[in-house]
Amino acid sequence: MRSLGTVLKKLTKKGNIGLIASVALLTVVMSLAYPNFLTLFNIEITAMGFIQEALMALGMTLVIISGGIDLSVAAVLPFTAIIVGLLLKTSLGVWPSIAIALGVAVLIGFINALMINKLRVFPFIATLATATMLRGVALVITEGATISGFPTAFYEIGHGRVYGIPVPVIIFLVLAVLFALLLKNHSYFQQVYFVGGNAKAAQLSGIKVNRLRYVIYGISAFMAGLAGIITASQYVSASTGFGLNSDMRVITSVIIGGASLSGGKGSIGGTIWGVIFLAIISNAFVQSGAPTYWQDVVYGGMLLAAVFLEEYLRARGRKAKMKSWREFLTSG
Amino acid sequence: MVASVLKIKGISKSFGVHKVLHDIDLEIAKGEVHALIGENGAGKSTLMKIIGGIHRPDTGSIEVDGESVAFSNPQAAMAKGISLVHQELSLVPNLSIAQNVFSQREPTNWLGFVKWDELHKRTRELMERLGVDIDPATMVAELSVGIRQLVEIAKALSMDAKILVLDEPTSALSEKEVETLYRIVDDLKAAGVSIIFISHKLPEVFRISDRISVLRDGRMIGTVKAEDTDTDEIIHMMVGRSIEEMYPPRASSVGETVLSVEGLSRGDELSDLSFELKKGEILGFAGLVGSGRTETARAIFGADPVDAGTITLHGRTVKFKSALDAINHGVCYLTEDRKDLGLFLTKNVRTNIVSSSLKKFASQLGLLQHSGIEDTAKYYVQHVKLRPADDKPLVMNLSGGNQQKALLAKWLCADPQVLIVDEPTRGVDVGAKTEIHSHLRQLANSGVGVIVISSELPEILGLCDRVAVFNEGRITAVLDGEGTTQEDVMKYATM
Ligand SMILES: Nc1ncnc2c1ncn2[C@@H]1O[C@H](COP(=O)(O)OP(=O)(O)OP(=O)(O)O)[C@@H](O)[C@H]1O
Ligand SMILES: [Mg+2]
Repeated sequence: MRSLGTVLKKLTKKGNIGLIASVALLTVVMSLAYPNFLTLFNIEITAMGFIQEALMALGMTLVIISGGIDLSVAAVLPFTAIIVGLLLKTSLGVWPSIAIALGVAVLIGFINALMINKLRVFPFIATLATATMLRGVALVITEGATISGFPTAFYEIGHGRVYGIPVPVIIFLVLAVLFALLLKNHSYFQQVYFVGGNAKAAQLSGIKVNRLRYVIYGISAFMAGLAGIITASQYVSASTGFGLNSDMRVITSVIIGGASLSGGKGSIGGTIWGVIFLAIISNAFVQSGAPTYWQDVVYGGMLLAAVFLEEYLRARGRKAKMKSWREFLTSG
Repeated sequence: MVASVLKIKGISKSFGVHKVLHDIDLEIAKGEVHALIGENGAGKSTLMKIIGGIHRPDTGSIEVDGESVAFSNPQAAMAKGISLVHQELSLVPNLSIAQNVFSQREPTNWLGFVKWDELHKRTRELMERLGVDIDPATMVAELSVGIRQLVEIAKALSMDAKILVLDEPTSALSEKEVETLYRIVDDLKAAGVSIIFISHKLPEVFRISDRISVLRDGRMIGTVKAEDTDTDEIIHMMVGRSIEEMYPPRASSVGETVLSVEGLSRGDELSDLSFELKKGEILGFAGLVGSGRTETARAIFGADPVDAGTITLHGRTVKFKSALDAINHGVCYLTEDRKDLGLFLTKNVRTNIVSSSLKKFASQLGLLQHSGIEDTAKYYVQHVKLRPADDKPLVMNLSGGNQQKALLAKWLCADPQVLIVDEPTRGVDVGAKTEIHSHLRQLANSGVGVIVISSELPEILGLCDRVAVFNEGRITAVLDGEGTTQEDVMKYATM
């Protein structure tokens, strides 16, 4: 028994063990039930179906580790798509348009941070307000119409391939590696853990918490903007309907990936597993032809199950003594 | 006289209408150990936070090496060579020791990426200097309060400060660790570092410091050379009258057994522990840090599972399923770490005091009777001599020692039959300490069984009727409090 305990403890120290096992199990079940599940074609479909969420989840991981939340991503996505759509109709050119649209996205992130820093609004409220307003503004700008008719150079972003791999997937992989390296090993990004783990201690050890928040929310909004541009290119149009409910899927992936809403905990690796997990479930719906209305029900259930499983394994793996007072009290 | 590295002139500070520092002057010489003492709430930590750039003074000036400075944040103070070990631990639990020690100053390559090997090596060296052999990658959450304190000290040492402020560094340390700390302070002093040392333990203050400054009610009473003064004079300066450090008389008679523990065992932490607690007595748990005292208390309280052993309360075998269960049975436990379990920091004193006894104040419908709550809270505020004597401030804003008093008030209010107190006078000033001792004695006299865990031997010997000595998870002796010497206890604690 003791050796099982220590093995469990070792594994849970690495984190995400429950999640990785679930992904493996799901993969086995799916490939037995649907022989084409593990084909390159289907893997690509699965990946592309979730690429927006995947990109946004990278930024959201930073936000959640820092103890915050960003509900505005699902609105920044269509907003950026619309901005880039409008700019592409001018004579600016593709790259300047993209740059400006991303700049606008980052600015929205700064506004989020500004509200949190200066007005002392909770991140939940600040970003919810931003989301609501952005959706409204997007409707005002477009009057509800879809913008379309973009140059081919723009079309390539969503449809091009390098060595046979879709460009959006490459963008994601590069950014994922970059984010993982930075968050794990870079001294600047280590601060994110400090701020989320103990904001007061962070301030005492000289972390400029407010400044860091601009960076974090700026990055999150940038990722949502990038997702918006990719979406616009994929659909060769821009509409206010893009990204609906993607915020909840993004947050779910990050939490399933082991981050905690109270901050200080989480990793890019975990988030990526979380994204893969949700993507496979989404693909399972496509494959089985089950009504997709059920998809969100399953996501919600999975969120609960994942959190429960991690907690359970951790409790099993940990030495009984390590149970903290708080856990003990709340169990009573 | 050597040149001053730090010169403070006319510092005043108010929080709202409450003026906590009045026109403070203080000079610290190069390479001296300067003790700063005063009662709980006198303003010691506040003054240090001003020096450390955490609070800004309302008036007054600070000079470092003759250069006038105004710190707008902690970094500015660190840049001038001032580093603070805070009274309230300020580490990030989910990160490693190394990450905490070198927070913001990690060795990095030119791209800013952390050099983990070097980081761990340097942390290991620092911790070894403090006499601890531990993996620098260990999460802080897994460490005991004592080790956390050492991590804080390592953090301050790593900054190579010119002025090192230690705000009650020894309150969570065992004797051995304290000795190591003294040695390090001596080394630093020899290297020309100035140290400001805050403590409520006067013997330690005399052992370590060159000069002593005393604060009372936010005013600087004076600075004296340690060799020219004595405990009585210092206490007089602190409280404006003399206090006899007297322990209350011991129990004249004890009643029947309230709590008895038989063969308590778990792994190699607790082996076959047995003892009895009688009605009306104070039983002390003495021993080194890690000898199983806190573990035993937690096991009784039901916080940790045990492999074997029975706990009998009033003749009935009990096994508490939760903290609430224990409290409902009249067993209360004042924990060693007041921040973790003890207090709701963002709530006011009143709420904290009644928080474990809300049932007492509920009408038949379960509605709270606020007038009763107010009266009771006010009573306990007076009873434990809380400063300020008010039940409305947020606990967060109380001084460290007053938080400890608030925690005691909370458990006194819960009407326990068995009260276990773990380090009850940690960070409490001399006067209040005597008060707390007499509260515990009164409680015992009223028929409550009291267990006191303390690392301060004089406290254990002065206060307790009997003393159980712990050694590596066993009780090696149960001695009478009367007539036992510290040497006797140490013999059983280390044999
Ligand atoms: N942030 C704050 N807001 C309001 N009041 C405060 C704040 N910080 C401290 N105080 C008050 O200032 C006074 C001095 O507190 P301080 O912490 O400096 O005392 P201390 O001398 O360090 O006491 P102790 O020995 O108990 O640590 C106390 O009355 C305390 O309640
Ligand atoms: Mg203090």
